[in-house]
Amino acid sequence: MKLWQKNYLLTLALFLVFLYAGVFSLAFFSYRRSMNDAEETAKAEESYIARSFERDLSDMLSYGSGASADMLMRSYVRHYNENGICLAFVSGGEVLASSFEEAPAAYDEGSILRQSIGDERHIVISDPLEDVDCMLVFAKNIEGVYREFKSFALICGAAAVGVSLLLAAVLLPLLKKLTVPLERLEETADRISGGELDVRADESGNDEFASLAKSFNTMVGRVNAHMDELKKEAEVKQRLVDDMAHELRTPITAIRGYAEYLERAAVPEEERLEALSYIVSESDRLKRISEKILDSAFIRENEIKKERVRLDEALREAARPLESKAAEKGVSLELETSPCEVVGDGVLLSMLFTNLIENAVNACGEGGAVTAGCAEGTAFVSDAGRGMTKEQLSHITEPFYRTDKSRSRADGGAGLGLALCQRIAAAHCTRLEYASEPGKGTKVTVDLTALK
Amino acid sequence: MARILIVEDEKAINDLIKRSLTLVGHECGQVFNGLDAIELISSRPFDLVILDIMLPGASGYEVIREIKDTPVIFLTAKAKLEDRLTGLRIGADDYIVKPFEMLELIERVNAVLRRTKAEPATFEFDDISVDLIGKRVTKAGSEVSLTPKEYELLAALIAHRNVALSREKLIYLVWTYDYDGNDRTVDTHIRRLRQKLGLESRLKTVYKLGYRLEV
Repeated sequence: MKLWQKNYLLTLALFLVFLYAGVFSLAFFSYRRSMNDAEETAKAEESYIARSFERDLSDMLSYGSGASADMLMRSYVRHYNENGICLAFVSGGEVLASSFEEAPAAYDEGSILRQSIGDERHIVISDPLEDVDCMLVFAKNIEGVYREFKSFALICGAAAVGVSLLLAAVLLPLLKKLTVPLERLEETADRISGGELDVRADESGNDEFASLAKSFNTMVGRVNAHMDELKKEAEVKQRLVDDMAHELRTPITAIRGYAEYLERAAVPEEERLEALSYIVSESDRLKRISEKILDSAFIRENEIKKERVRLDEALREAARPLESKAAEKGVSLELETSPCEVVGDGVLLSMLFTNLIENAVNACGEGGAVTAGCAEGTAFVSDAGRGMTKEQLSHITEPFYRTDKSRSRADGGAGLGLALCQRIAAAHCTRLEYASEPGKGTKVTVDLTALK
Repeated sequence: MARILIVEDEKAINDLIKRSLTLVGHECGQVFNGLDAIELISSRPFDLVILDIMLPGASGYEVIREIKDTPVIFLTAKAKLEDRLTGLRIGADDYIVKPFEMLELIERVNAVLRRTKAEPATFEFDDISVDLIGKRVTKAGSEVSLTPKEYELLAALIAHRNVALSREKLIYLVWTYDYDGNDRTVDTHIRRLRQKLGLESRLKTVYKLGYRLEV
């Protein structure tokens, strides 16, 4: 059952209960009161009749008139019968005089009873008289009072029923209208779950429904934003996987291809050696890629060590294995270090500098120059190499991105170095700042004072 | 037999393709980026272009747009179905995914060439001449009678000349799938070919692998 239906039935039921209880009690009390009034009047009348009869009888006896008590009784009976009151004088079970067409069902000395006599309601009062061994039975017709009450009750009942019907009719659309915003909200929610993610609930008004709609919209917005984030994340991951598959496929293709070539073709010694050297160099490339992937995984999964690291020593250590490569390419590699200490992971920082210096060396042609240095917790690596455009700069930390595909592959890059560097920097609560200009060179700066 | 342009930025793989295709008699040109490819194709005719998609300069998709009549085989690491469909939809004649097998490459190249290029009618070496259309073989001017299977075996060896083919591969190429014979059948046919055509020095047994026709 719907909320408005529940509300409707509940409200209607409660209202009806109270209405009819009110009407009923009103009728009940007014009935009691009219009956009491009628009874009081009857009692007063009876008392008056009894007292006046007693006085008349005693007068009659004291004056000694010839009339008998029976005659007096009969004249009383007759007189009051004309006024709508039935009287009877009863002595020891014998009726001395009576205007009753039908005897009352029950009467006793001193009793006041309400009972029907010949289909009409009466108040019957029995009163023993003084000075004479006799009882006066008084009966007054109260059918009129009863009828009056009955018609009053009827009017009240009819009014109550009328009011109920009116209420039922007015309450229905009112309550229905009250839950319309709820239905709209439901409709909106259905549309959103049906895929229309841009739909929002109507927030107009300032009742609970409006605030519910506001909360609802906020929730949908949040959920959408979160979903977008997840989608983006998934896309990045998918691209990483695609790139990785591509990166791995190339050396595997070469290794497999040359092996098959050697197996199937009769080749001269010179070509055989060339094919073998391709197999070796492409295997090395696979090895490098897998090492870099392992390094990335290592940084992602392990907390970094926090130790005091001599930055200048880390730089020198990082540069050492690259000296021969730089010399081979005809690139000068210079260090401008001043002693300083930072907090961080020495192994990772060395890895960071090695990668940065290697990139710098790769960016240079023959006769190029690479300078690495540090001072006061900040290290830099700069080169006078190719440099990068803004567009290229925005991509360089993506795994497998290369500014110049063919050339940097020839230099042996796996395309993972800067992605790794970024991770290491992030693990040290800092980031790499690049300044680069195409044709002029690149300078990478990293501020390592964030960790203390 | 055919002039093929290889567009692939990885030198190792470019060389590998060149070597494989040169073995079976094709003439190969090499370029290492998209722009050079576009330039070269517009200036010289090729029978087929083998094209990588992720290329420096201009991508394979851009290159294929510039190619008008030359058949193209995409050779790429992009292995997803949607990439293959895209490749075929924009006009490639075939799509090979890295890593590829040498024999697969040769067969696909030959298949595309069969569809697009009139094959030479004869193949000649030493004093032997093979009429590839009439399916007749002459040695020193006189016809040598070969059974149909012997001829087909010779044709398969010629198509994959200088490449060692396993017995399984030969069965697949000559006797097709439904053949349930064994390696001995191949050996017998090879022996007869050697006898009939005097190919002892050309048709080599490759240890542990199979046979190779060296010409």
